[in-house]
Amino acid sequence: MHKSNPIIPAIAVILGFTYFYFQAAQPSDPVEGFHIQEFAKLPIVDRGRVKPMDTFARVSLMVMNDGFQTFKPDKSKEYEIDKRQPAVRWLLDVMTSKFSENHIAEKHKVFRIENDQLLGLLALQPRPGLRYSIEEFAPQIGELEKAGKAADQKENAKKDAFDKSVLQLAHHLQSYMEIASLQTPLVIPAGKGEDWKPFMQAALESRNANQADPNAGMNPTVSKFGEMLLSYLKNEPLNFNKALVEYRDLITKELPVQSEISGFEVFFNHFAPFYHCIVVYLFVFLISCFAWVTAPVTLNKTAFWLCILTLLVHTWALGSRMHIQGRPPVTNLYSSAIFIGWGCVLGCIMLEAVYKNGIGNIVGSVTGSLTLLIAQHLSAEGDTLEMMQAVLDTNFWLATHVTCVTLGYTATFVAGFLGIIYVIMGLVTTTLTPERDKSLTQMIYGVVCFAMLFSFVGTVLGGIWADQSWGRFWGWDPKENGALLIVIWNAIILHARWGGMAKNRGVALLAIAGNMVTGWSWFGTNQLGVGLHAYGFNDQLAWGLTAFWLSQLGLIGVGLLPRQYWLSSRMASKTISIPAKLQPKQA
Amino acid sequence: MSETEPNKNNPNKNSQFNLLKLLKPLASLQLTVVLFVLSLVLVFAGTLAQVDNPIWTAVSDYFRSFYVFIPNQVFARFCQTFRWVSPTAQWPGSFPFPGGWTIGGLMLANLLAAHAVRFKFSTKRIGIISIHAGIILLMLGELITGIFAVEGNMTIEQGGVTNYLELKETSGFMGKVNGPELAFSDLSIPKKEKVVVIPNHLLRTGGKISTPLLPFDIEIIKYMNNSSVEEIDPEKTEGGVNLANVGDGVRIRANEKNEASGTDKDQKIDLPSAYINLIDKKTGKSVGTYLASIWLSLSSLKPTQSVITEDGTKTEMALRFKRSYKPFSMELIEFKHERYLGTNTPKNFSSKIKLSNESLNENRETLISMNNPLRYDGETFYQSGFLPNDKGTILQVVRNPGWIMPYLSCLVVSFGMLLHFGMHLNTFLKKRAISNA
Repeated sequence: MHKSNPIIPAIAVILGFTYFYFQAAQPSDPVEGFHIQEFAKLPIVDRGRVKPMDTFARVSLMVMNDGFQTFKPDKSKEYEIDKRQPAVRWLLDVMTSKFSENHIAEKHKVFRIENDQLLGLLALQPRPGLRYSIEEFAPQIGELEKAGKAADQKENAKKDAFDKSVLQLAHHLQSYMEIASLQTPLVIPAGKGEDWKPFMQAALESRNANQADPNAGMNPTVSKFGEMLLSYLKNEPLNFNKALVEYRDLITKELPVQSEISGFEVFFNHFAPFYHCIVVYLFVFLISCFAWVTAPVTLNKTAFWLCILTLLVHTWALGSRMHIQGRPPVTNLYSSAIFIGWGCVLGCIMLEAVYKNGIGNIVGSVTGSLTLLIAQHLSAEGDTLEMMQAVLDTNFWLATHVTCVTLGYTATFVAGFLGIIYVIMGLVTTTLTPERDKSLTQMIYGVVCFAMLFSFVGTVLGGIWADQSWGRFWGWDPKENGALLIVIWNAIILHARWGGMAKNRGVALLAIAGNMVTGWSWFGTNQLGVGLHAYGFNDQLAWGLTAFWLSQLGLIGVGLLPRQYWLSSRMASKTISIPAKLQPKQA
Repeated sequence: MSETEPNKNNPNKNSQFNLLKLLKPLASLQLTVVLFVLSLVLVFAGTLAQVDNPIWTAVSDYFRSFYVFIPNQVFARFCQTFRWVSPTAQWPGSFPFPGGWTIGGLMLANLLAAHAVRFKFSTKRIGIISIHAGIILLMLGELITGIFAVEGNMTIEQGGVTNYLELKETSGFMGKVNGPELAFSDLSIPKKEKVVVIPNHLLRTGGKISTPLLPFDIEIIKYMNNSSVEEIDPEKTEGGVNLANVGDGVRIRANEKNEASGTDKDQKIDLPSAYINLIDKKTGKSVGTYLASIWLSLSSLKPTQSVITEDGTKTEMALRFKRSYKPFSMELIEFKHERYLGTNTPKNFSSKIKLSNESLNENRETLISMNNPLRYDGETFYQSGFLPNDKGTILQVVRNPGWIMPYLSCLVVSFGMLLHFGMHLNTFLKKRAISNA
């Protein structure tokens, strides 16, 4: 055994902390230029939620250009430096585009068009990135309209790839137009007994009121916001900044809490903590892998402490989302992914704290980074802090049922990944000693017990919620049945072990199959509801799930290979057989 | 966990010994695991069956039945969901499988036998006994629900008063409703309504129905399990001959549709229609062929059609959901539909209701909203939906004598699991601490 060295873990944690610290640092506005970052913090309303200008800009831009929350403008009078710009800058360009002479917003290449036929229709040449500006396809916009009308009339099932991309582009253009005509988002805060209003409507109402009664004066928020746009248009940073400060003071006075949360959300957006957690979890994984080769005690400790640091950031990020939304952690598919990741890492750290064999580090870092990657993928669809359907609008049940069921999913996944480790260690390495075999089995068994507890209680709580909301404890609908399948599966594992039908390896393989069951409940049942209708069917998710199932089946398949093909067992039998041969000589 | 085998040398009485011997195979853990696997397949197939069938058809075929023939097509549906096979693939054939009652019953027997044979009561076993007792409660609860629960809808228009439920197919075995019924009401006596109802199964059978309670015989020309309706121009005969020659059917035609399925987003329930010929008993001549449809009853303008025989007897006719009249009535004072800021996404629904029960001299106002139901007279009223343009509210009404069971079960099982797993964890950690020391 190597001795533990406290210096290396300490260095790793300090490096990790420095990494997060620099990622969290916010960009500052130039003193003389436009105070874009301050503008980004202004609260607005979009899709039923008060959010900062920043989130709206990022999500709108990301949906249009399929993935990026920044854009790269061409070199021009406005943009001298040829580098990526924040989404708010794009938003300001679009908001002022109707009144601008050079129509800079129409020159930004932010529309991603992938379909060859559509590119042909719009007379565009394929180029790296496949992102185009309105200016480039404006001459062909009539053709797009025709194709859009034709596609719109087809039944959903009959729409082909071309029709879908036409409709998608049309939809993106419409969102663009709504921003350009200042109809989205709702920027002017509610007066007494009124809803938030888009700038255009508020401006017209204010003007009409002013004409009817000249003493009324313009609505101050409207005039300040107008001044900001005008100064931006005229390229007068000082006036822009002055109007911005005055506008911000008005808003902060009226909505102190929302303004504060909006500012925090901008910080959160820029930090992108989940993304950086993936990076550090991957480092933890690498370090844990090295620990199998050399200096296991020191490197395992390093991985362990670095993992704890990352988990702290992960926890903070989860808490921040709850603070922004004012809700329990899991409210949609995206948040279930980050919560499952969090639970997996937490559980694995606890296992590692007990067993100190490096397995918890590996499983924790792999499940943590994988689930966050899935979340990253899911976030491409839009605002991840979306509003919920009326029946889900209850914090009590979200906090109890949803959290419990999600923890059940989490534990089932952890058990499954421990099962995978069991198979890999036994089959292709010599590290699965009888002692490790025993402790891994204990770990799997313990985690399955947790999974059983949480999935059962969570599922029953879901039933009770259903009984509270529509009087039916159990409706046998696909999502409910999915949760029930996990409960049954865990019960199978536990009873098969108690009855001696599954021993160490059997439990490991059953736990891997638990991954497949959980995959079905988490993503599969959603596919089923819409699977027969073309709309809403997520091809990528379907393929992802297929690949996941195949990989798990493959692992179970190789796990079923007779023990004599397992490297660990062969080594074990060799060490026993050598002294046996030597025995006669000694005698 | 190790479960001690009963001591074979135990000098038990002979009869008890035989009973235990008999129970032993029934108590085996192998059987437990087999039953779990069977239930896994059943739940999975019953989920997939909802792609093509209404949810309660799947429930009554798979879960509230003794056996079921699972069509291979459900597995084709699964493969199609993930694009593994062509969307038009048809896998003919089916195979028999034990239904929910059978598997559930055997599980119960297995569990009880296991406790009779293997488990001796001790403090160490409190956890596991609680878990199993809770599971039994849960299963009994589902059994009671499956047999006795009654579900219905109460629709009240803004300012209107309703004193009946429309029963739904989701009701349990005892209150089973298979579809709407044909109702004839005689309104000639003021303030009273004399109703003659033709039950749904007779409508499905078809042919001629005769009853001394009605002045005419009813001939079912066509019954459609699920239908859509369209307005037609009575002058033109495009799209075939119109079967109806009087009443609403002259300008509205019903077309047959496939049955609604549980995973369909737009329509989850069947909306039947029927063409019926009414024959005057006195004259033997046809009064006319009518279209009776749920669609017509749903439109609130005039939910019934008048049938007038030659001697001037007037009867109101409608195809409507089976009703259950109540001793109380509800008036909708106000329906509120809140939306999220600047969107059409609903945030909350609520109905302000005036509840009147003359026999009890009760008269009070109450508010029903999402997640806040009203419990009254053994029934629970939930905010479930609303009429188009917020013109009224739809309440889901449930009577379920087994409603408390899952609550108890959840408590008992959670307690049991925490205790059982907690004890194991505790021993494990202690052992570990000793070995590390």
